[in-house]
Amino acid sequence: MPKPKSRRAKQPRGAKPAVVPGGGPSVRSFWSGTITFGLVSIPVDLFSAVRPRQTAMKLVDKSGHALGRQYHCSKEGTKLDGDDLVRGYETDGKMVEITDDDFASVAPEMSSDIELRNFVPLEQIPSLYFQKPYFLAPAGKSAKAYHLLAATMESTGRVGIGSFVMRGHEYLVAIVSDNGVMRADTLRYADEVRTPESIGLPKRSKGAAKMADQFVKDIEALTRTELDISELQDNEAQALQELVKEKQKNKANVIEESGLEEADPESGDGAKIIDLMAVLRKSLSKGAVVTNARGGAPVDLAERRAQKKATSTRKAPKKKAARSPATKRARSG
Amino acid sequence: MAARAIWKGSIELGKHQVAVKMYSAVEDRTIHFRMLHRKDDAPVEQHIVRKDTGKDVAKEDLRKAFALSKGTAVILEPADLEKLIPPQSRDIHLCRFVAPSVVGDQWYDRPYYLGPDGDDESYFALVHALERKKVIGIARWVMRKKQYVGALSELNGYLALATLRRAEQVLSFSGIEPAKTAKPHANELKLGEQLVSSIAADFDPQLWQNDYRQRLTKLIEAKARGEKPARHVPKKVKPQASLADSLRASIAAAKEKKVA
Repeated sequence: MPKPKSRRAKQPRGAKPAVVPGGGPSVRSFWSGTITFGLVSIPVDLFSAVRPRQTAMKLVDKSGHALGRQYHCSKEGTKLDGDDLVRGYETDGKMVEITDDDFASVAPEMSSDIELRNFVPLEQIPSLYFQKPYFLAPAGKSAKAYHLLAATMESTGRVGIGSFVMRGHEYLVAIVSDNGVMRADTLRYADEVRTPESIGLPKRSKGAAKMADQFVKDIEALTRTELDISELQDNEAQALQELVKEKQKNKANVIEESGLEEADPESGDGAKIIDLMAVLRKSLSKGAVVTNARGGAPVDLAERRAQKKATSTRKAPKKKAARSPATKRARSG
Repeated sequence: MAARAIWKGSIELGKHQVAVKMYSAVEDRTIHFRMLHRKDDAPVEQHIVRKDTGKDVAKEDLRKAFALSKGTAVILEPADLEKLIPPQSRDIHLCRFVAPSVVGDQWYDRPYYLGPDGDDESYFALVHALERKKVIGIARWVMRKKQYVGALSELNGYLALATLRRAEQVLSFSGIEPAKTAKPHANELKLGEQLVSSIAADFDPQLWQNDYRQRLTKLIEAKARGEKPARHVPKKVKPQASLADSLRASIAAAKEKKVA
């Protein structure tokens, strides 16, 4: 599949493989770098803290052949390779070509630091700022400094705010400690967040007082101290998987695939997280227990790895492939 | 400029229904590019082709397949996919209410504001009730043929509904106890707290800008005017020392900064 030449800057300090105890396969973290606050520096590896939904499907033809994408010139109709492609931006009806050199010239500096500039109370960050969570694991001999920062943030109720560069993009980030494990939660920038005023919502009013009292009672009747995980389950994924298993049992539309499009590297988070558990167990503590949100049994690494292997070809960039060519746009920025 | 509602629904609570309009709470500032043919700057078209033959596949012949295991997948015909579509509904069903801290940041996916849809009285009554109880509601609803799980809350005097990640996606940890050798000493913890409080502040998102996006926008504008864009020159420095020394030096530096 032709791809435009990468314009992204190389990773600082390399996304180096994390060592997994027990001779398991080594995995790559998303990013390796250093948290700095004041003059203290803590080398860390970053891993995605969320798994993709188990709903991803691949695009095939009616008889199950693997499909790919091919770019054509809209004028000449000829097939194009990655080298034939360049990005353009349309402004005032004019198409401006943005070359790899142009992108390189504005790229964020090659820094591998997350510099924490200040510590703010966690509850001051509105939930609508939170974008994507990543786990941080101490790298090298930084375990002590890592624990110090985690413990300090938990005792003060504050989280570190800073910015860092990953894959050529600049992210605003909150470093939070959750049960002794630190996360880097990327945040939206202020200009990406709308306000009731900018949306144009009507002026606040008092509302019907009697109704408010009734709502308070209704809310109290439904208030609980904890979440019920069954209310947060992915029912769609479950329905999809049941249907697929049923079809398999009936031998309906089962295909033996070969060469189906490789999983999007972005969506390979599952593998990274599984090995992250081992990484964290080793670097943080032998007694650490890792659970998913169900709060159920500790995760069995070997079993998970086997599952992962079995499903490693599942994910495909279906949305991208399914989008019609006319609306297909390269994304960046 | 007022934003457009993307969906209309109705919150069910007790015997009441609160009609709401949904608005995205985020503004996409991403700079989107078009892929062009280098030679003639013509936009490219994307064809779906068979990998083995390279031949185009017609749109009506495209199917989705779900992989069961390595080498085996099941094709889902349009009729199968139809079966998976949940029944259409405008209801936003509230399962339960919990304290906001019960739902960690890692659950939050996409935020939306809800505005009143014709009935301001009950809308703001619900806003006030949520304000008084200081809780958020766990909600489920079907929107555009998909099921969603979300958190209903009061935000800046209005209702907000954020989609949440599914339970299967979120990982959490418990019982992390540092190894003895990695346990910070009491004095180090004290220094750590001093350092944190020396650079403590309120959350002010306006202090942070996406500089890369600004540089990219400037570059595009300059090129559109036919100018040669100015080059961005990166800089770099970095110190290193022992943990306790670094903490002390940092506190001293932070104090100096405050005086100055």
